[in-house]
Amino acid sequence: MKLSYFLFCLLALISCKKTEKQLTKITAKNIAIDSIILPSSIIDSMVAPYKEKLSADMQQVLCYSSKKIDKNDGDMQSSLGNLMADMCFEMANPIFKQKTNESVDFVLLNYGGIRASIPAGEITKEHAFKLMPFENELVIANLTGEKVSALIDYFIQNKKAHPLSKNIELRLLEKGYNLKINGEVFNKNNTYNVLTSDYLQGGGDKMDFFKEPKKLIKLEYKIRDAIIDYLKKTDTFQPVIDNRVMIK
Amino acid sequence: MERRNFIKQLGTASTLSILGGLTLPSFIGKKQRHITILHTNDTHSHIEAFGPNHPRNANKGGVAKRATLIEQIRKENKNTLLLDAGDIFQGTPYFNYFGGELEFKLMSMLKYDVATIGNHDFDNSIEGLYKQLPNAKFDFVSANYDFKNTVLDTHVKPYKIIIKDGIKIGIFGLGVELAGLVSKKMYKETDYLNPVEITQDITSTLKDEEKCDLIICLSHLGYYYKNNPDKISDLNLAKITRNIDLIIGGHTHTFLPKPTIVKNVDGKNILVNQVGAYGINLGRIDFYFDEQNNKTATGATILV
Repeated sequence: MKLSYFLFCLLALISCKKTEKQLTKITAKNIAIDSIILPSSIIDSMVAPYKEKLSADMQQVLCYSSKKIDKNDGDMQSSLGNLMADMCFEMANPIFKQKTNESVDFVLLNYGGIRASIPAGEITKEHAFKLMPFENELVIANLTGEKVSALIDYFIQNKKAHPLSKNIELRLLEKGYNLKINGEVFNKNNTYNVLTSDYLQGGGDKMDFFKEPKKLIKLEYKIRDAIIDYLKKTDTFQPVIDNRVMIK
Repeated sequence: MERRNFIKQLGTASTLSILGGLTLPSFIGKKQRHITILHTNDTHSHIEAFGPNHPRNANKGGVAKRATLIEQIRKENKNTLLLDAGDIFQGTPYFNYFGGELEFKLMSMLKYDVATIGNHDFDNSIEGLYKQLPNAKFDFVSANYDFKNTVLDTHVKPYKIIIKDGIKIGIFGLGVELAGLVSKKMYKETDYLNPVEITQDITSTLKDEEKCDLIICLSHLGYYYKNNPDKISDLNLAKITRNIDLIIGGHTHTFLPKPTIVKNVDGKNILVNQVGAYGINLGRIDFYFDEQNNKTATGATILV
């Protein structure tokens, strides 16, 4: 009897301690934030002064586009990718020349870095921001012929329309390729000045051929600023799909 | 013999419950507790809603609408936590012009509790992120970024514990590998540690030492990489670890129609969720706790 009383007390004590919070049910869902929900006026009034500052500047019309420019309208190239690479070449080459007395041989950017398409009609600063929201800067990597050939292998194996500038004429054959750079046949014994972004040069998108170049020149010029400067001096642009990449 | 033992045990248990009921009234009113977890990821400076002419997301998103929705849910359940899985920065000119100031101020107004750090949060360099911290009235957690030799040292903790209605909730953060994704001059001396090993350590700390009732991982590792299935991702992490109840993900901008149920290494069902990007959706997970005399081995019912 004594023992059972003791046991009872012990059990009661344990059972008290053991009253635990147990997870018994979970419900889960994802809710769309759509037009049925009314916006909070407190938040709107918080945003308003920032918005005002922004929009005045962003709505400036810089130039015109004759048609919608897209990054998915070609095979291993696109009108938008071509435009981006050519804009960077045109804006960066004079700065590079002044700095080094050399020329940029060609440009390689990345397909994933093109963040929006450009509509037909008025092009504003806002479009430049949407196209290139990142703060990446232009750099020139002086690459050995071997690394340029690794670059072309990457381009082919990656099967994406990574932007190349008009300096390139790459003909993809059933086996191998023919490559001309600025009209001259690619020579593995030469070195080439390749314009790209600091992001890609630093190993972004696994473009490892950009690592440890023979020389690296930083322009301290943002890609977005290059685009904005190009748009400012252009009236209407007519982007094209051309011969820079040809597939047999 | 076995049968006798069984009857004896049964007898003891029923006596106990009757007497317990008489002498310990406080244990009768077993209350149900309800914790709501709300979450976003990859909002990418999308302060305003998408315009009416946007091809895919017309009129969707917007912080002002998110605020209304969250307010409604908080009225329903005051025991609500609001979390973000990183990439708060970059994506609209608001970031380029104001450096993330408005993003953090608005998240503070919405009363975010905890966020983790995404790769794009380094886009104005680690100093740029540090500079905006005074605008964030919420905490940052990251367990696998070692900030010891950076300006963020001591400003980011591996985990945070929040107690709501007596429920102890442990929240830890995981970040994606930065090399190859962010330039070194941006993340500086931030050290990336193996997220799996870190998760094993942290979850056992949260479960065994801190005795958390609920463990949440805020991850910017990415949901899953189809073309690189062995790369660490939320789905892989869920399968090979234990003690996590919920992984809130980001980075891959994965729009899940509903959260995914995954079996962890112990065969227990856990949830992995991600709500795409740009503040278009809000994730909502409700956890219900009952008080019971003994923990049973059966897991919770999950309704998605």
